Amino acid sequence: MKPRIEQVMKKFADRCDYLEVHFEETEESRIGFSGPRLSDLGRRLDFGGNVRALHRGGWGFASFNSVDRLEEFAQYAVDQARTVGKEASRLAEVDPVVADVPVELKSDPRDVSLEKKVEILRAYNERALSFGDGITSTIVTYFDRFHKLWFGNSEGSLVYQERVDIGGRVTPVATRDGDTQVYNVGFGGSDDFNVVKGLEAEIDEACEVALGKLEAPKIKGGEYTVILDPRLAGVFVHEAFGHLSEGDNVYEDENLQKVMKLGRRFGGSFLNVYDTGLDRGLRGHLIYDDEGVVTEKTYLIRDGELVGRLHSRETAGKMGEKPTGNARCLDYRFPPIPRMRNTCIAQGEATFNEMIAGIDYGVYCISASGGQTNGEMFTFTAANARMIRDGKLAEQVRDVTLTGNVFTTLEKIDLIANDLAAHDGGGGCGKAGQFPLPVTHGSPHVRIRNVVIGGE
Amino acid sequence: MKKIIEKALSRGAARAEVFYLNSLQTEVSYEAGRLKELANTEETGVALRLVKDGKLGFATTTKLTDLDRVVDDALATASCGDYMEFDFAVAGDLPDSRFFDSAIAELSIDEMMKHSEAGITRLLDYEKNIQAESGTSRNMQTIQVLNSDGVDAEFERTQYQFYLQGRLVEGTNMLNAGAYSGGTALDVDFDRLYENAVAEFKRARTNVDLATGKTTVILTPRAVADIMLTLNLAVSGAYVEQGISPLVGKLGKRIFDERITIRDDGLRPGGYRSAPFDDEGVPMQTTTLVESGVLKSYLTDLRTARKLNHADTGNGLKAKRLIGSKELGKAPAPEITNWVMEGGEKSHEELMSEIGSGVLVDSIMGLLMSNLIAGEFGGNLAYGLKIEDGKTTGRVKNAMISGNIYELFKTNIVALSRDVELAGLLGGIGTHWYPYVVLRNVTIATKS
Repeated sequence: MKPRIEQVMKKFADRCDYLEVHFEETEESRIGFSGPRLSDLGRRLDFGGNVRALHRGGWGFASFNSVDRLEEFAQYAVDQARTVGKEASRLAEVDPVVADVPVELKSDPRDVSLEKKVEILRAYNERALSFGDGITSTIVTYFDRFHKLWFGNSEGSLVYQERVDIGGRVTPVATRDGDTQVYNVGFGGSDDFNVVKGLEAEIDEACEVALGKLEAPKIKGGEYTVILDPRLAGVFVHEAFGHLSEGDNVYEDENLQKVMKLGRRFGGSFLNVYDTGLDRGLRGHLIYDDEGVVTEKTYLIRDGELVGRLHSRETAGKMGEKPTGNARCLDYRFPPIPRMRNTCIAQGEATFNEMIAGIDYGVYCISASGGQTNGEMFTFTAANARMIRDGKLAEQVRDVTLTGNVFTTLEKIDLIANDLAAHDGGGGCGKAGQFPLPVTHGSPHVRIRNVVIGGE
Repeated sequence: MKKIIEKALSRGAARAEVFYLNSLQTEVSYEAGRLKELANTEETGVALRLVKDGKLGFATTTKLTDLDRVVDDALATASCGDYMEFDFAVAGDLPDSRFFDSAIAELSIDEMMKHSEAGITRLLDYEKNIQAESGTSRNMQTIQVLNSDGVDAEFERTQYQFYLQGRLVEGTNMLNAGAYSGGTALDVDFDRLYENAVAEFKRARTNVDLATGKTTVILTPRAVADIMLTLNLAVSGAYVEQGISPLVGKLGKRIFDERITIRDDGLRPGGYRSAPFDDEGVPMQTTTLVESGVLKSYLTDLRTARKLNHADTGNGLKAKRLIGSKELGKAPAPEITNWVMEGGEKSHEELMSEIGSGVLVDSIMGLLMSNLIAGEFGGNLAYGLKIEDGKTTGRVKNAMISGNIYELFKTNIVALSRDVELAGLLGGIGTHWYPYVVLRNVTIATKS
């Protein structure tokens, strides 16, 4: 594919300020069970590309499957950029990269037969289905993807990368008298097929939790002191702060820039938050982002103060900051935009026992069903929860959805534990129609005061 | 595409079915009030299902220069697949409905820019500090379904989408408001959309307090669309078959207030997901799901229709669940098309003045994390207004709404509005038509 990229550069690069080409070939295998039925078994081959042109601040973008019509699409992208552009192009400067980055795998999913994969997932499925009375069904998903990515731009970058993404979920479903409760075991990774193995104990536990939720009362709505476990705290930092840190949120909005000024205090001096692409094996691992920028570990909050944000070359350029290697696209159908990688609350010093001892009446929120933000407010849902009474874990409760304000909730974290753990589920992050992008999040246990929880 | 079927049969498949999609989408987008990007997305791909030794195989490709590969992949999946429990569609009459609007096909980039620019100007004329975004797109699709049992059907469809979205940041107060429209026919009153977006801003500039408790709520059509995600899942033949829908065994039984009538209308003129046939080649139709509160039908594809001994409603679609865009890689499964709920007697303005006090709910964030299949919904009021003396008095923030549709829509309905309006589905894709719905005794938890 590289000669084709060079050919486009030769012909069109001098007609615009900046030009880039992506090609991508993805092979996917997918397995799904709905109850006893093997409901999804498929293979996908996806091959396509795009041309993105920048001229005087305006972008033209053309994505395509008909690769034989490459020049036509390149012409389109360049013409459209010239139509749009009326100002100055400002991309943060980076060194051009020429590199071949084959993926280094501990265990290649392509070496495992489809039969074997089905067998592993079927065994999990049958384990959950035969767990006992009340587990009436299951939802099981699995995918593995092998991406080959070619990228080149008019500054001389020419990069071939391979990436692997593996993930899925085993979800036991408990039903009784028209009520349905679930709890899932998610798994994922970027260099090892074995992440799918050894989930038996977690699946048994998930069955117990789902059955328990059938009996558990709904939580009473109101304000609570909460402890989030590392999985839920990871979703919390992703929703409550990660999205706010994405450069495209801020770079055109002067009012928001006033609020998101570097140095602003967001939390206690013990609060540190970072986003990193460096952790091999996690789904949020990257070598080069989708603009060919080398990835890094980016601190967002240090000692409670805002110190950085997540950038593409454009958002960094316009804000006069350094690019961070966060420009990512779901696939070749989309342009790269600032996205998270592995977003974490850093290690603290407290212990779980210290945290819980100080709570007379509160909630221990465990694992996540997901989260969302609209820029100002965020919500996230605990997949399981227990009340805390007089400093001790008490009865299981359900339907625990927490909400808060992105600017003020981090201030209410009063303790961070020393048990940091990053977790990969089988889902992903959605933004601007690009869903599900593989991301990771991590955190130690955190305690937060005065959090609103919905409910009757 | 016949070539693929021939290849599959010659390689030992007993039967085969090909779905072909070609689309060309053009979009103009504005960011921070300025033209930002022009984008063109060309997609071409095929999905192949085949039966070998009684087992079903499935594969897709967008690399049409290598058609042997998709046949290989489908055969490989068939070797460890499940036994096929249904037949492919048979050739028959298809509705002659057309969902091709030349006004969309001929929509020029200049016109698309004008629609977005005019909206942005209106928002900025109202308040220059709004960060305004807008996008207008047109999409032209050709969809073909062929199988070895004689189905050979094709249609062309046009779709447009328009959004206008603004964000106003004042200190750490952030207000998002906007308007959305979409469909297969360009019969949209842009001026009214602009006006609605400005009105949304105007009504929410002041924040007001609300105490935790039960209150009367008026759901806008958009909020109804959000909450209907529960029923969207529950009527799916797949969840009924799996036994996890709360509507199992409820056909013919009353599930909602008798004023509730809901149809899934795959043939609705202008509907975003309208089509003459579904992705398995089965005719689309108008299906009454709930009539006067009584559950009348589930939504099915070929397989679940057979399994449930239910009529095939023509809902075998490759849409992404809940989000709705075409996903080639997904096998057809029962999915909603366009939903329409019948309205009531009075206008929503009349209903609002009759309420006296309560909360107007327009947009709920975090709904997707609810236990939707059980009918439960909850989330933060992303856009909610307090109502006092029949008028909205300001925005309610930090508030969580929660409830169960099978309780609230059965016992708590006060009224439905006469006006039934287009509401975009969560995520902005798909079109549904709902009235405003007034509910009593809905729980809203707020910051004390």
